[in-house]
Amino acid sequence: MKLEGKTALVTGGRGGIGRAIVSRFLREGARVYAADLTPEGSLARHDDDGSIFVKLDVTQEADAVAALEQVASEAGQLDILVNAAGTEIEKTIEETSLEEWNLSFAVNVTGTFLASKHSLPLMRKAAASGASASIINFGSYDGFIADPGLAAYCATKGAVHALTRAMACDHGPEGIRVNAICPGYVDTPMLQSFFTGDGSGAGGKSIDQLQQAVRDVHPMRTFGTPEDIANLVNWLASDEARYASGQLWVLDGGLSAQVQQMKL
Amino acid sequence: MRLAGKRALVTGGRQGIGRGIVEAFRREGAAVTTCGRGPRPDNLPDDVIWYPLDVADADAVEKLASATDGTDILVNNAGVQVENTVANSTDADWEAVIGTNCRGVFNLCRAYVPRMPEGSSIINIGSISGRVADPSMALYNASKAFVHGLTRSIAVDHGPKIRCNAICPGWIETGMLDAGFELASDPAAAREDALARHAVRRFGRPEDIASMAVWLASDEAAFATGQLFTVDGGMTAASPLNPGLF
Repeated sequence: MKLEGKTALVTGGRGGIGRAIVSRFLREGARVYAADLTPEGSLARHDDDGSIFVKLDVTQEADAVAALEQVASEAGQLDILVNAAGTEIEKTIEETSLEEWNLSFAVNVTGTFLASKHSLPLMRKAAASGASASIINFGSYDGFIADPGLAAYCATKGAVHALTRAMACDHGPEGIRVNAICPGYVDTPMLQSFFTGDGSGAGGKSIDQLQQAVRDVHPMRTFGTPEDIANLVNWLASDEARYASGQLWVLDGGLSAQVQQMKL
Repeated sequence: MRLAGKRALVTGGRQGIGRGIVEAFRREGAAVTTCGRGPRPDNLPDDVIWYPLDVADADAVEKLASATDGTDILVNNAGVQVENTVANSTDADWEAVIGTNCRGVFNLCRAYVPRMPEGSSIINIGSISGRVADPSMALYNASKAFVHGLTRSIAVDHGPKIRCNAICPGWIETGMLDAGFELASDPAAAREDALARHAVRRFGRPEDIASMAVWLASDEAAFATGQLFTVDGGMTAASPLNPGLF
């Protein structure tokens, strides 16, 4: 029970990775607010897992303010913020409309900015009580090296990486640690929609063959699971990680350790 | 007890980061063997096995590997640091730094990789100095970049059987750090300046690195391989050109 007595807010908390984080935090003894557009989230089902659902459109400042007001009145402080809400547009810049570009930045970058900004007063309270307060953002290995046809996504994740370092610099002296996890291919609704969204680019391969080809490029020969990501989120959220700040933590089954062209 | 039933070898467990890892692994239930040049340290817990070993000696490393069975966790921590630029480095500096930091890690990996069981974890101690240069530490910086490159190669070549990651510590309170400050014209001012460059406003402790090593050694890190994990209190996240320091 590494998170006993801590309060956590997870944006995108009803989605693939978010839900695994919420469930891990609950097992570790934390009080957890799962913030999302709907209780069903991208998994399109509702579990009564013991988390507190908060309706949050991360692009709306009023929503962020209201969510944190709820946390303030019920819990009084916030020890852990996980910015897991995200969206992915599978297009080159030429194909991307301005609306799609703006939506990508609104969810992935502005959403991280708004939730973090309005969490800071509650996180300072947590830090002042002696524990370490921890913000965990979601970058991506795509913020380091580009996947084809994901221009806006790569750009937003690069922005999240830089924002993570900036926030760590600015708020470290206040006792708030800020890190980002950079997942590779993780089995979530977002990944499934990446494979099924445009089968035409698969060179005649079925979706199953395509997925296997992608697995085979990984040194670990598999995709990650949301639980793999939750394992690292849990460490970064805990006091064991009290000296870890300002870093981008790649968790991708070894994918980006190798110089290898994706042959799809 | 996240490492119960596992067997670990930690090189360079006499002091500093290596000793911190030995102690953390013990607490998590692993059977721990460590080694170093010279006799067994007096204060080493009785249940930790000690071998006198110079990691640069390939024959001695091979002998140890053939005598120890079923090692699941290998931590290549033994390292030496020589403060010199390239122009001032001697052949003896080269032998010392490259012999221990490069050939030593290679010797251990070559001897142990074929003998490690499915699901094993190798953890190399790299350094932030392998990614960004510390001044007047040329051979050390280069030796750590070697460790980083070897880490990725082992992950790619020997996955999925073996995971291999490196931890890149920042400035940790050990004898090595004090020796660094002694080089400055005003060691006290150098220490103050260095602290101001850390977001968390302190230097690291061996246990800060040990807690990452425990995670990487455990099955919780089953999807983590081929990566460099920096634990430095936020130092390398900030630009060295911080106007607040001038």
